[in-house]
Amino acid sequence: MIRSHFVNLVIFSGLVAVFFAFLTQSETKDRLRVILVLGGSMIVLSLIIAYVMYPFPLR
Amino acid sequence: MSETVVEQAGPEARPAAAAFVACFLAWLVPGLGHLYLRKKERAAVFFAVVLGLFALGVASDGAASLFEPRQPLSFLATLDNLATGPIDLVSRYHTYGGIVFALPGEDGDPRRTDLLNRLRSRVRSVTYEYGTIFLLTAGLMNILLILDCYDIASGRKN
Repeated sequence: MIRSHFVNLVIFSGLVAVFFAFLTQSETKDRLRVILVLGGSMIVLSLIIAYVMYPFPLR
Repeated sequence: MSETVVEQAGPEARPAAAAFVACFLAWLVPGLGHLYLRKKERAAVFFAVVLGLFALGVASDGAASLFEPRQPLSFLATLDNLATGPIDLVSRYHTYGGIVFALPGEDGDPRRTDLLNRLRSRVRSVTYEYGTIFLLTAGLMNILLILDCYDIASGRKN
Protein backbone atom coordinates (compact mmCIF):
# COMPACT_ATOMS: atom_id res chain seq x y z
CA MET A 1 0.00 0.00 0.00
CA ILE A 2 1.52 3.33 -1.09
CA ARG A 3 0.64 6.15 1.28
CA SER A 4 2.55 8.98 -0.41
CA HIS A 5 0.31 11.31 -2.42
CA PHE A 6 3.18 12.24 -4.71
CA VAL A 7 4.23 8.65 -5.44
CA ASN A 8 0.62 7.75 -6.22
CA LEU A 9 0.42 10.78 -8.52
CA VAL A 10 3.62 9.80 -10.37
CA ILE A 11 2.56 6.14 -10.76
CA PHE A 12 -0.94 7.08 -11.96
CA SER A 13 0.36 9.72 -14.40
CA GLY A 14 3.02 7.34 -15.72
CA LEU A 15 0.58 4.49 -16.36
CA VAL A 16 -2.01 6.76 -18.02
CA ALA A 17 0.68 8.37 -20.19
CA VAL A 18 2.08 5.00 -21.32
CA PHE A 19 -1.45 3.75 -22.05
CA PHE A 20 -2.37 6.71 -24.26
CA ALA A 21 1.05 6.74 -25.94
CA PHE A 22 0.58 3.16 -27.13
CA LEU A 23 -3.10 3.69 -27.92
CA THR A 24 -2.62 6.76 -30.11
CA GLN A 25 0.89 6.44 -31.59
CA SER A 26 2.69 3.74 -33.53
CA GLU A 27 6.26 5.09 -33.70
CA THR A 28 8.60 4.79 -30.72
CA LYS A 29 9.70 8.42 -30.98
CA ASP A 30 6.10 9.69 -30.97
CA ARG A 31 5.25 7.44 -28.04
CA LEU A 32 8.13 8.80 -25.99
CA ARG A 33 7.01 12.35 -26.76
CA VAL A 34 3.44 11.60 -25.63
CA ILE A 35 4.70 9.92 -22.44
CA LEU A 36 6.86 12.91 -21.56
CA VAL A 37 4.31 15.59 -22.47
CA LEU A 38 1.21 13.88 -21.04
CA GLY A 39 2.87 12.42 -17.94
CA GLY A 40 4.76 15.64 -17.24
CA SER A 41 1.66 17.78 -17.74
CA MET A 42 -0.40 15.67 -15.34
CA ILE A 43 2.25 15.91 -12.62
CA VAL A 44 3.05 19.62 -13.07
CA LEU A 45 -0.60 20.72 -13.38
CA SER A 46 -1.56 18.69 -10.30
CA LEU A 47 1.19 20.38 -8.28
CA ILE A 48 0.09 23.82 -9.52
CA ILE A 49 -3.55 23.12 -8.61
CA ALA A 50 -2.47 21.80 -5.21
CA TYR A 51 -0.37 24.93 -4.62
CA VAL A 52 -3.26 27.23 -5.64
CA MET A 53 -5.66 25.36 -3.34
CA TYR A 54 -3.27 25.52 -0.38
CA PRO A 55 -4.43 28.96 0.96
CA PHE A 56 -8.07 27.79 1.12
CA PRO A 57 -8.84 25.99 4.38
CA LEU A 58 -11.47 23.23 4.54
CA ARG A 59 -13.62 25.32 6.90
CA MET B 1 -1.99 6.96 -72.06
CA SER B 2 -1.83 4.43 -69.26
CA GLU B 3 -2.51 5.33 -65.65
CA THR B 4 -0.41 4.01 -62.85
CA VAL B 5 -2.37 3.14 -59.75
CA VAL B 6 -0.36 3.27 -56.57
CA GLU B 7 -1.90 1.21 -53.80
CA GLN B 8 -1.20 2.38 -50.31
CA ALA B 9 -0.71 -0.18 -47.58
CA GLY B 10 -3.66 0.66 -45.35
CA PRO B 11 -5.28 -1.03 -42.39
CA GLU B 12 -6.55 -4.53 -43.13
CA ALA B 13 -10.32 -5.00 -42.87
CA ARG B 14 -11.38 -8.26 -41.22
CA PRO B 15 -14.73 -10.08 -41.19
CA ALA B 16 -17.36 -8.75 -38.79
CA ALA B 17 -17.08 -11.91 -36.69
CA ALA B 18 -13.40 -11.14 -36.09
CA ALA B 19 -14.34 -7.72 -34.69
CA PHE B 20 -16.79 -9.32 -32.28
CA VAL B 21 -14.26 -11.94 -31.17
CA ALA B 22 -11.56 -9.29 -30.72
CA CYS B 23 -13.88 -7.11 -28.60
CA PHE B 24 -14.93 -10.07 -26.46
CA LEU B 25 -11.32 -11.16 -25.92
CA ALA B 26 -10.36 -7.57 -25.05
CA TRP B 27 -13.05 -7.58 -22.37
CA LEU B 28 -12.08 -11.05 -21.13
CA VAL B 29 -8.41 -10.19 -20.53
CA PRO B 30 -6.99 -6.68 -21.12
CA GLY B 31 -4.69 -6.85 -24.17
CA LEU B 32 -5.94 -10.23 -25.41
CA GLY B 33 -7.99 -8.58 -28.16
CA HIS B 34 -4.86 -6.87 -29.49
CA LEU B 35 -2.94 -10.15 -29.30
CA TYR B 36 -5.70 -11.78 -31.38
CA LEU B 37 -5.29 -8.96 -33.92
CA ARG B 38 -1.51 -9.64 -33.96
CA LYS B 39 -0.52 -6.43 -32.20
CA LYS B 40 1.82 -8.17 -29.78
CA GLU B 41 3.71 -5.14 -28.47
CA ARG B 42 0.56 -3.17 -27.72
CA ALA B 43 -1.07 -6.25 -26.21
CA ALA B 44 1.79 -6.71 -23.74
CA VAL B 45 1.81 -3.03 -22.73
CA PHE B 46 -1.98 -2.83 -22.31
CA PHE B 47 -2.02 -6.06 -20.29
CA ALA B 48 0.69 -4.73 -17.96
CA VAL B 49 -0.80 -1.23 -17.58
CA VAL B 50 -4.44 -2.23 -16.98
CA LEU B 51 -3.65 -5.16 -14.71
CA GLY B 52 -1.01 -3.11 -12.88
CA LEU B 53 -3.53 -0.36 -12.23
CA PHE B 54 -6.13 -2.91 -11.15
CA ALA B 55 -3.71 -4.67 -8.78
CA LEU B 56 -2.66 -1.33 -7.33
CA GLY B 57 -6.33 -0.47 -6.80
CA VAL B 58 -7.04 -3.70 -4.92
CA ALA B 59 -3.83 -3.36 -2.87
CA SER B 60 -4.75 0.24 -2.00
CA ASP B 61 -8.08 -0.86 -0.46
CA GLY B 62 -10.14 0.34 -3.41
CA ALA B 63 -13.75 -0.83 -3.51
CA ALA B 64 -15.74 -2.11 -6.46
CA SER B 65 -18.94 -0.08 -6.94
CA LEU B 66 -22.38 -1.49 -6.16
CA PHE B 67 -25.55 -0.52 -7.99
CA GLU B 68 -27.89 1.35 -5.66
CA PRO B 69 -31.30 2.14 -7.25
CA ARG B 70 -31.59 5.36 -5.21
CA GLN B 71 -28.30 6.61 -6.72
CA PRO B 72 -28.61 6.22 -10.53
CA LEU B 73 -24.98 7.21 -11.17
CA SER B 74 -23.84 4.14 -9.24
CA PHE B 75 -25.02 2.13 -12.27
CA LEU B 76 -22.33 3.78 -14.44
CA ALA B 77 -19.63 3.14 -11.83
CA THR B 78 -20.65 -0.52 -11.55
CA LEU B 79 -20.70 -0.86 -15.34
CA ASP B 80 -17.24 0.72 -15.50
CA ASN B 81 -15.90 -1.79 -12.95
CA LEU B 82 -17.44 -4.65 -14.95
CA ALA B 83 -15.65 -3.40 -18.09
CA THR B 84 -12.39 -4.65 -16.56
CA GLY B 85 -13.62 -8.17 -17.30
CA PRO B 86 -13.80 -11.24 -15.07
CA ILE B 87 -10.98 -9.92 -12.87
CA ASP B 88 -13.55 -7.46 -11.51
CA LEU B 89 -14.89 -10.40 -9.51
CA VAL B 90 -11.58 -10.46 -7.61
CA SER B 91 -12.05 -6.90 -6.35
CA ARG B 92 -15.70 -7.62 -5.46
CA TYR B 93 -14.74 -10.71 -3.48
CA HIS B 94 -11.91 -8.78 -1.83
CA THR B 95 -14.22 -5.92 -0.86
CA TYR B 96 -17.48 -7.63 0.05
CA GLY B 97 -16.46 -11.22 0.76
CA GLY B 98 -18.56 -12.46 -2.17
CA ILE B 99 -19.68 -11.70 -5.69
CA VAL B 100 -22.15 -8.83 -5.31
CA PHE B 101 -23.25 -6.30 -7.94
CA ALA B 102 -26.08 -4.40 -6.25
CA LEU B 103 -27.15 -3.32 -2.78
CA PRO B 104 -30.38 -4.97 -1.58
CA GLY B 105 -33.18 -2.39 -1.66
CA GLU B 106 -34.65 -2.37 1.87
CA ASP B 107 -32.99 -0.44 4.70
CA GLY B 108 -33.57 -3.14 7.32
CA ASP B 109 -32.16 -5.96 5.17
CA PRO B 110 -29.31 -7.59 7.16
CA ARG B 111 -27.42 -8.32 3.95
CA ARG B 112 -27.51 -4.62 3.02
CA THR B 113 -26.24 -3.69 6.48
CA ASP B 114 -23.42 -6.24 6.19
CA LEU B 115 -22.36 -4.92 2.76
CA LEU B 116 -22.45 -1.30 3.95
CA ASN B 117 -20.36 -2.20 7.00
CA ARG B 118 -17.78 -3.89 4.78
CA LEU B 119 -17.73 -0.81 2.55
CA ARG B 120 -17.37 1.54 5.56
CA SER B 121 -14.37 -0.45 6.80
CA ARG B 122 -12.77 0.19 3.40
CA VAL B 123 -13.61 3.90 3.41
CA ARG B 124 -11.69 4.28 6.67
CA SER B 125 -8.48 3.26 4.89
CA VAL B 126 -6.29 6.27 4.00
CA THR B 127 -5.72 4.95 0.47
CA TYR B 128 -9.37 4.07 -0.25
CA GLU B 129 -9.88 7.02 -2.62
CA TYR B 130 -6.74 6.21 -4.61
CA GLY B 131 -7.62 2.53 -4.81
CA THR B 132 -11.17 3.18 -6.01
CA ILE B 133 -9.97 5.65 -8.66
CA PHE B 134 -7.36 3.13 -9.85
CA LEU B 135 -10.07 0.46 -10.22
CA LEU B 136 -12.38 2.84 -12.13
CA THR B 137 -9.53 3.99 -14.38
CA ALA B 138 -8.62 0.39 -15.21
CA GLY B 139 -12.25 -0.14 -16.31
CA LEU B 140 -12.27 3.03 -18.44
CA MET B 141 -8.99 1.98 -20.06
CA ASN B 142 -10.42 -1.41 -20.96
CA ILE B 143 -13.47 0.24 -22.55
CA LEU B 144 -11.07 2.22 -24.76
CA LEU B 145 -9.17 -1.00 -25.57
CA ILE B 146 -12.40 -2.75 -26.62
CA LEU B 147 -13.25 0.18 -28.92
CA ASP B 148 -9.67 0.20 -30.26
CA CYS B 149 -9.94 -3.52 -31.08
CA TYR B 150 -13.17 -2.82 -32.96
CA ASP B 151 -11.47 -0.05 -34.97
CA ILE B 152 -8.49 -2.27 -35.84
CA ALA B 153 -10.65 -5.26 -36.74
CA SER B 154 -12.97 -3.19 -38.92
CA GLY B 155 -10.04 -1.63 -40.79
CA ARG B 156 -10.38 1.92 -39.49
CA LYS B 157 -7.03 1.81 -37.74
CA ASN B 158 -3.75 -0.01 -38.23
